[in-house]
Amino acid sequence: MLTDWELERYRRQIALFGEEAQERLANARVVIVGAGGLGCPVALYLAAAGIGEVRLVDGDVVDRTNLNRQVLHTDRDIGRAKVESAAGKLRAQNPEITVVATRATLDEENAALLAGGADLLVDATDNFGVRYILNRVALGARVPLIHGAVRGFDGQATMIIPGRTACLECIFPVAPPREDVIPVVGTTPGIIGLVQANEAIKYITGTGDLLTNRLLVWDGRAATMTTLPVERQEDCKACGSGRC
Amino acid sequence: MQVRVRAFARLREAIGGDLTLEVPEGATMSRLLAAVGETSEQAGEALFEESGEIRGYVILMHNGRRVRRAEAGTLTLADGDEVALFPPVAGG
Ligand SMILES: [Zn+2]
Repeated sequence: MLTDWELERYRRQIALFGEEAQERLANARVVIVGAGGLGCPVALYLAAAGIGEVRLVDGDVVDRTNLNRQVLHTDRDIGRAKVESAAGKLRAQNPEITVVATRATLDEENAALLAGGADLLVDATDNFGVRYILNRVALGARVPLIHGAVRGFDGQATMIIPGRTACLECIFPVAPPREDVIPVVGTTPGIIGLVQANEAIKYITGTGDLLTNRLLVWDGRAATMTTLPVERQEDCKACGSGRC
Repeated sequence: MQVRVRAFARLREAIGGDLTLEVPEGATMSRLLAAVGETSEQAGEALFEESGEIRGYVILMHNGRRVRRAEAGTLTLADGDEVALFPPVAGG
């Protein structure tokens, strides 16, 4: 049952999808991997929407060069762990939810533990090495994963439902090359992060058509958003017959 | 015959937008990709490795369907087809 406080706080969205959907949000546990350009807007909007437990995983500390896009961190946070900096803002935004900050870089060893118990995983990471690990963890635990990535004015997002939709390796069997410094304007992860948060809310509340088997592509220069169809690959190395 | 090319992300910057290319009747996907690469130095770099092979991470689509790299040499195009080329981004 929702409290009077909750009924008031979430009134505008309860008007949209009802009290039961709001209860589902309150009972959900979402693990966001990455507290940077994507992780900040994802976490902020999921906290505001009343997700019961938001877990942040990131091993980095805040750097001055992060501040053009990582909007939960401020000048004063430089040198602090990103997860601590972000968690403080989220608790201030919504004191009724649980925010768990885990300072760790996701790797093959700790991935299953860090993602354990999640109803939903959000890929807010900045490289494909970690993304492939996260994809395999999601497939193994059969937990949906919402992918997002950005560069410059360009971004992409998709939702992966293990066993039902194309997985990350079906869509991207070969990782794009690593860059030391990835140019980006803050609005790009803002837009893609909110697409991811929107999918999370839709998935948990059972609203609308999910961004599954479609890759959403944002072109900020042209101000256009397109979706490209994607599909499961039978020989996928992560979810198909090519599994290893 | 004419084939429409929709390019995304860095490739779009390199090409400057969508393209309609004139290619010989019965041209393959590989032939079209070579023609796209020839439109500018940046387009060539965005699409091809130094070895001349198509960059493995670029997503190739033909009339809304994914095309594997291995199929590019044999897939023949028809007049009015649409090819989409998407080099994924990786930052966060
Ligand atoms: Zn797969």
